[in-house]
Amino acid sequence: MTALLALAACGGSSISSSTSSAGVTGAGTINIGVIGPMTGPAAEIGNLMSGACYAAVLDVNKAGGVLGRKVGCTLVDDTGDPADAVPNVTRALATTSNLNMAVGLESNTAATTIPLVNSARIPMVSTNGLVAYDKTTDTYFWRMTPSDDQNGAAFVAWAAKKGYRRVAVVFQNNIGAQGNDPGVVAAVRKSGGTMTTNITIPGDASSYSSVVARVIAGKPQALILAGDPQTSATFLSQYRQLNGGAVPPVITSTDSITPAYFSAVKKVMGAGYVTHSMYFVGSYVSPASHAFGIYKSAVYGASQIKDPATILGVGVIASIYDGINLMGLAMQMAHSASGPAYNTDIAKIAAGVPGAVAVDSYATGLAALKAGQQIHYVGVGGPIHFNAFHNSPGNFSASGFSASGSPTLLGVIPGTQVQQLLPG
Amino acid sequence: MSVFIEAVGFGVAAGAVIALGAVGFTVQFGISNVLNITYGALMTLAAYLGYALLSVGVGVWAALAVAAAGIAVASAGFNRLLIAPLRRRGTGFVGVVIVTVAAGIVIQYCIVAIAGPDTVSYGQQAGGTIRAAGFVVTTSQLIIIGLTVAAMLALHLLLTRTQLGRAMRATSANPVVARGCGIQTERIIDVTWLISGALCGAAGVALAITTVTFDFTLGPIFLIYMIAAAVLGGIGQPYGAMLGGLVVGVGTQVAAAYTSPAYQDVYAFGLLILMLLIRPRGLLAAGTASARRLAG
Repeated sequence: MTALLALAACGGSSISSSTSSAGVTGAGTINIGVIGPMTGPAAEIGNLMSGACYAAVLDVNKAGGVLGRKVGCTLVDDTGDPADAVPNVTRALATTSNLNMAVGLESNTAATTIPLVNSARIPMVSTNGLVAYDKTTDTYFWRMTPSDDQNGAAFVAWAAKKGYRRVAVVFQNNIGAQGNDPGVVAAVRKSGGTMTTNITIPGDASSYSSVVARVIAGKPQALILAGDPQTSATFLSQYRQLNGGAVPPVITSTDSITPAYFSAVKKVMGAGYVTHSMYFVGSYVSPASHAFGIYKSAVYGASQIKDPATILGVGVIASIYDGINLMGLAMQMAHSASGPAYNTDIAKIAAGVPGAVAVDSYATGLAALKAGQQIHYVGVGGPIHFNAFHNSPGNFSASGFSASGSPTLLGVIPGTQVQQLLPG
Repeated sequence: MSVFIEAVGFGVAAGAVIALGAVGFTVQFGISNVLNITYGALMTLAAYLGYALLSVGVGVWAALAVAAAGIAVASAGFNRLLIAPLRRRGTGFVGVVIVTVAAGIVIQYCIVAIAGPDTVSYGQQAGGTIRAAGFVVTTSQLIIIGLTVAAMLALHLLLTRTQLGRAMRATSANPVVARGCGIQTERIIDVTWLISGALCGAAGVALAITTVTFDFTLGPIFLIYMIAAAVLGGIGQPYGAMLGGLVVGVGTQVAAAYTSPAYQDVYAFGLLILMLLIRPRGLLAAGTASARRLAG
């Protein structure tokens, strides 16, 4: 904590701005607050979030902007720590002009940052997985990705699809991983599978030998494992040492399909294991859709993005791109960048009305609106069905690593199938 | 019973790494009376130095030796250039502790600036797995256990059988009187920081071998275990630090074998508190000045 504070202090401002083309930032620019960990151990998440924003900004500005104004990304560093997030987000809200939409707001800090943004009456598209937001009444909150318990159930659905009936569940004791556990437990029970072990482990410990011995004793066919790269690599390497070199396949979250995870696990488990025995389950995006093609062009076209393949492989991140398009179109529809004015139009554009034109990009949506048509936005994540609590979990995908470490789609898990594994 | 024996074996292996660092920490604190929080950051530095050496093809044990030597020099330099001048100017115990906290943070983020925030890995350095009498250990764990025992014995012999060791103990007991007796206390403290730095460096690489992957937070996270081991064993006592390391290591692993591993540290540190309630000056406290000050 002190270390992160020091970094924030040494690193200067926790807020930085960028538009997609040099020199266009001006008084009229509509700023998108990308609220996430830009520094610290979780900085990779912030990097993914900002990448999606840069891609969206590129497309929106290319189409003529929102209400004739440029849009730009304002990075707000929450460091992944609520203690840093509150002052940094508060400062950003107070000092950033035209901060009219927000994206990011992931699980580690969501409980502290979302109320701040909601109070400021700024519509936001959050990537957090907290179950508490399944039934939120926050007016300005929108989520197009599943909550953690739905993700947990999707892990079990994928295990069942692969024929793994005996699973060991090992989750690190952080908020993101722990959120998956109830969904896993419920889904294993409902699917008739066997949970050989359900263990919570501390992160970044020097030894997991005793835990590994307990897991091995259950003879699992697959490990549902959620942990940071260091924890996962240490755990898996000790599993291999204690189990004669054999380690069952791992099913984990798409949050982990990052270069850091690939690098950490590959070095101790080998390329063969990482590419053939690891499944990353999360929000589905269809690489075959036209919307994905547009998204991909933007991700590769944005000069600020250093690792486009990773951004494209993390489905959750696509919801930021979709969210910015959706909010931009809602502003256009409401003829206002004010949150209270355009917030309700977000749901209208997502649901569409009878006779609305389906659009899959900001440019086509803007053109249709200018032509006086009603629109129905279908984005990279497919159709959006917001419920009464502004949630639209969608479908799930399982991805793997290619030999080079970039994500590859392995299969799709329908959202309805996952929902059937959960109670209620 | 087999689960217990297995967990004890895992605990001894984990405790050996704690003990290796704790032996250096306890000697440094016991003799120079500085609670050096920078110790954790220097361990991290050693781990990254080892990583750099491995990357250019140096063997892991050679890397450990080089990192130990490098951190020994860095540690002595840190004392000579920062800690000693502060103490000469009258900075109190707490003030020096805060400076070591600050210096640790600076070192930590210098590492981030150079190596980046992502995890790095030594790869598989564990060697073969040996199973005997219910215990399961790897070759590298056996070497680290041996290294820890050797370090502890060497330190014990140094402190009890050599002129230098007697001078170190005299400096620890009363530096003013020691100076009056002709002992060059500043030089003795330099040597102490050199020795403890070498153990800190060795512990950093040993820890990285054990965890396999690590990032810039490696040492500071681990420091609390070493301080616990040093305090539990009795400040200034190499044997005590080793015993303390084993108690903490075995405590966490046995707790993880029978309870929720998420709370393994709670059980281990609960045990530590209980033991200190029974023996307030530590398991093997001999009544050094620092130990008396610490135990109150």
